[in-house]
Amino acid sequence: MAATFENPADLEEREQMALSTLLKRLGDDEFVLAERYTEWQVRAPSLESDLALANNAQDELGHARLWYDVLEDLGFKERSLVFEREPSDFRHSTLVELPFEEGNWADPILRSYLYDVAEELRLEALEDSTHPKIADRVRKIQSEERYHLEHAQSWMERLADGDEGHERLQDVLDRLFPHALTLFEPVDSDVEADIVDLGLRDATLEELREEWLSVIVPYLESLDLEIPEIDQTDDDKLEVAVDQEMLPDERGRDGGHTDAWFDLYDEFTRTYRELGRSETTKIMEKPNEQ
Amino acid sequence: MSSDISETDATPCAYTDYRKGEQANSLTETGDDATGLEAAVWNTLYEIEDPEMPISIVDLGLLYGVSVQDGVAHVEMTLTYSGCPARDMLTEQVEEAVAAVEGVKDIELQLVWSPEWTTERVTEQGKEDLREFGLSV
Repeated sequence: MAATFENPADLEEREQMALSTLLKRLGDDEFVLAERYTEWQVRAPSLESDLALANNAQDELGHARLWYDVLEDLGFKERSLVFEREPSDFRHSTLVELPFEEGNWADPILRSYLYDVAEELRLEALEDSTHPKIADRVRKIQSEERYHLEHAQSWMERLADGDEGHERLQDVLDRLFPHALTLFEPVDSDVEADIVDLGLRDATLEELREEWLSVIVPYLESLDLEIPEIDQTDDDKLEVAVDQEMLPDERGRDGGHTDAWFDLYDEFTRTYRELGRSETTKIMEKPNEQ
Repeated sequence: MSSDISETDATPCAYTDYRKGEQANSLTETGDDATGLEAAVWNTLYEIEDPEMPISIVDLGLLYGVSVQDGVAHVEMTLTYSGCPARDMLTEQVEEAVAAVEGVKDIELQLVWSPEWTTERVTEQGKEDLREFGLSV
């Protein structure tokens, strides 16, 4: 049967699972990346760069919310998706959860670049989604994302231009690259196949990864950065064999996370827990309801 | 003023076919044709201002559609920015105001995101309000 995502209540279990998995991948990446970006507030190298990254963080929070909104159709609530969720249920890539190397501005910049290229590609693959609410959101997000890539690339080029900046970028690339590959790892391979079969997204993870590599590899090379463990057998054709050994032990998508994630989770849920909150968006009751 | 060049001699390009078209922002829903209860809902929406600027949310172009069926008002609107911190404040304000319209039993508000909001959606009245506020639009 042709699945219709107009009425979430009519969805079969397989469709619900595919939908919720896709949305958690999308929403969790955005949410956790925003959490990390905000650590740079008042610490970035200049006032402008501080505001730019803080603004990108706010964009990502807005996008996380757009995806979580669609999850709410399946019966989730914002609090159960964020503040009351088991940390191991989050499906983000480990790229977004890693702590920044202290004071190393090349880290958020390169991370943003690797992530934003991947995001651009996966949004393209969602433009014709069979789920009307997903398709409805894509263009809005794309229009707000364009600046992110521009921001990351203009900084990459500045950093790569000097010896120290170049060295820092290379160190960060060596450290982040295996984690960036987890962006394309499956939550569960059967469910991932369903996501494509049901037309929720029209590219497989492998296709997205290939496309991503075909964008980032030439760009990084143009800045004289070496991509770790990538064999290029043919000058004209990019031959990148990604094997499991290149991936980190924790892949994020499958619920396995680095210790840093559990620390971050404790930190952002602390106030909610300590104040005994049960609503996410209400600071206080309205005066006339007290 | 030194430049006093009159533009009255300007002629349209001979190679272009000129026709009277619709206004650029005519896609913006403002409820001009609405009647009855729907008109009452539009009037109420007109009174709600953006949280940061003295402009009606209707003139700002946030509304995508209003319909009332069996006393239930269906309102489709967007926000200028997905990360809008005033989202709940604004949607709650809309829900409360519309629910208070006489004859409306319930309201279903849906946030929609395409076509995405741009400044093109601001009506002429809205542009005037924004200019008066000091923005260049």
